Amino acid sequence: MAGFKKIKIKHIFILPTVLILFAFGIFPAVASLLLSFTNFSLAKVGEGFSFVGLTNYLRLFSDARFILSMRNTFIYVILGVGFQYIVGMFLAMLIYEETKINKFYRVVFLIPIMLTPVAIGYTWRMMLHGTYGPINHLLSIINLPGIPWLSSTIVAPLTIMLVDFWQWTPFMILALLAGRMSISPEYYEAAGVDGASKAQVFAYITFPILLPVSLTVILIRAIEVAKIVDIIYVLTGGGPGVSTESITLYGYISGVKQFNLGYASSIAYTILVAIMVFGFIFLRLKERFK
Amino acid sequence: MKQKIPKILSHIILIIWLLFAVFPLYWTFVTSFKKPIDVFQGPKYFPFIDFQPVLTAWKNLFIRDWAQILPPYMNSIIIATISAFLAVIIGSMASYALSRFRFRWRFFSNKDISFWIISQRFFPPIAIVIPVLILFRVLKLLDTRSGMIIVYTAFNLPFAIWLMKDYFESIPQDIEEAAMVDGCSRFQAFLKIVIPLAYPGLITAFLFSFVMSWNEFLFALILTFQNARTIPLIIAGQSTQRGIEWWNISVLAIITILPALLITIIIQKKLISGLTFGAIK
Repeated sequence: MAGFKKIKIKHIFILPTVLILFAFGIFPAVASLLLSFTNFSLAKVGEGFSFVGLTNYLRLFSDARFILSMRNTFIYVILGVGFQYIVGMFLAMLIYEETKINKFYRVVFLIPIMLTPVAIGYTWRMMLHGTYGPINHLLSIINLPGIPWLSSTIVAPLTIMLVDFWQWTPFMILALLAGRMSISPEYYEAAGVDGASKAQVFAYITFPILLPVSLTVILIRAIEVAKIVDIIYVLTGGGPGVSTESITLYGYISGVKQFNLGYASSIAYTILVAIMVFGFIFLRLKERFK
Repeated sequence: MKQKIPKILSHIILIIWLLFAVFPLYWTFVTSFKKPIDVFQGPKYFPFIDFQPVLTAWKNLFIRDWAQILPPYMNSIIIATISAFLAVIIGSMASYALSRFRFRWRFFSNKDISFWIISQRFFPPIAIVIPVLILFRVLKLLDTRSGMIIVYTAFNLPFAIWLMKDYFESIPQDIEEAAMVDGCSRFQAFLKIVIPLAYPGLITAFLFSFVMSWNEFLFALILTFQNARTIPLIIAGQSTQRGIEWWNISVLAIITILPALLITIIIQKKLISGLTFGAIK
């Protein structure tokens, strides 16, 4: 009897969570998958819809805009996160010592992390404006040509990465810093006796020890960037042309603007599967280095 | 001497990064005190030195446009507060259960439940939002605060659970067990003993969830269009409505960023474990 009572209580505690995650996790995941095999459209709700098999997925392959948005997202993930990691690691190594000034840096550096991305997007849009923005003006002072930050199809994707870099490199700094500070000083004492250089110490001690942390932060950031949308929406709206469009933005446009929810679901599912595969590979890698 | 040069170099690098990190906020702040002419004559950097600051934009927002700004701002406050509160209540029960009881259902154990919960957070929102859009149309929850509260509660729950689980695990079980021997029910022990002890964790989870909802854009963009619009949507809509009235947009950006900025500084110690789901302490 007592055991029965115990079972009941623990289920009551977890039930609300399970129900919510069913409603907003499993249900949408299954519904999206089913929708991705239909021609469901918000423009023709009255006419109903039908299953079209793999049509949506086959269409993806010949949809140049989809391929471009996939490529853009991929670039944002690989190049953007990679760069954030390298710079974050470098800066973390500069401020790991427990000094007053370093403590100050740590607090100021974290500021951009959780600021509303849409507002940040606007701030950068002001700063990068060709004629009235301060960035090109400052460049002209040191005799450099202005950069078409938002109007060139080649530069604009880099600008998106720049803003994400500004906001999220601090995350890399702080996470790697936490990792660096938890390494026992003994490792370094031994190296000091052997007369190892700073670069050697980093390559043979710090970097290998930080590898699991590194993989974790890269994975988390990569997944976040794979879902990027708000900064792009505000900075470029996906333009010029569709040169900065991410997969989520394209999914939004085809689903909500063009009412084509079936097709949008197939786009969404592609990115979902991509994230799952990516996450799986990373977790495997992490196990290996543990 | 050999030590000195790298030291100076490292400080120069850090100061450059410092300027890079802070400049956008500085720029937004000074722009909010500019007259149109101070924007259109090319960039002006220092108030009182190269331009005379005015309060026009602030008056525009708080007097002229207040009637349009207040409803979405209130929506943001109400939706973020209530959804964060619900996420903490529901989440604290779940994380308590996961830290105290053993679950077993086929091959599904505590660890798997925790993993399932966290994996929700990695789902691309675009895949979630489309079925929710259809569901909300049917349930008449589109463009309502209640709808957004429900969505954001679900959205924040994994975060909240992972943040609080650590706290519950650190509270020794003996105290509750002693209370239960004295005649407390499990639920009373949870409310009267565990919750007060886990208080700092609950606050952190609340603040985290609040910022996440406050900043959220995609769900709001798709699931609201008039009555339940939140403040990020208003900002995003500024370019088409106003061209580049940057002084006005800057004020709006400041009042949007401010709550997030304050909370970020309050929870700085928990930021990393929060953003990595405790994978890194």
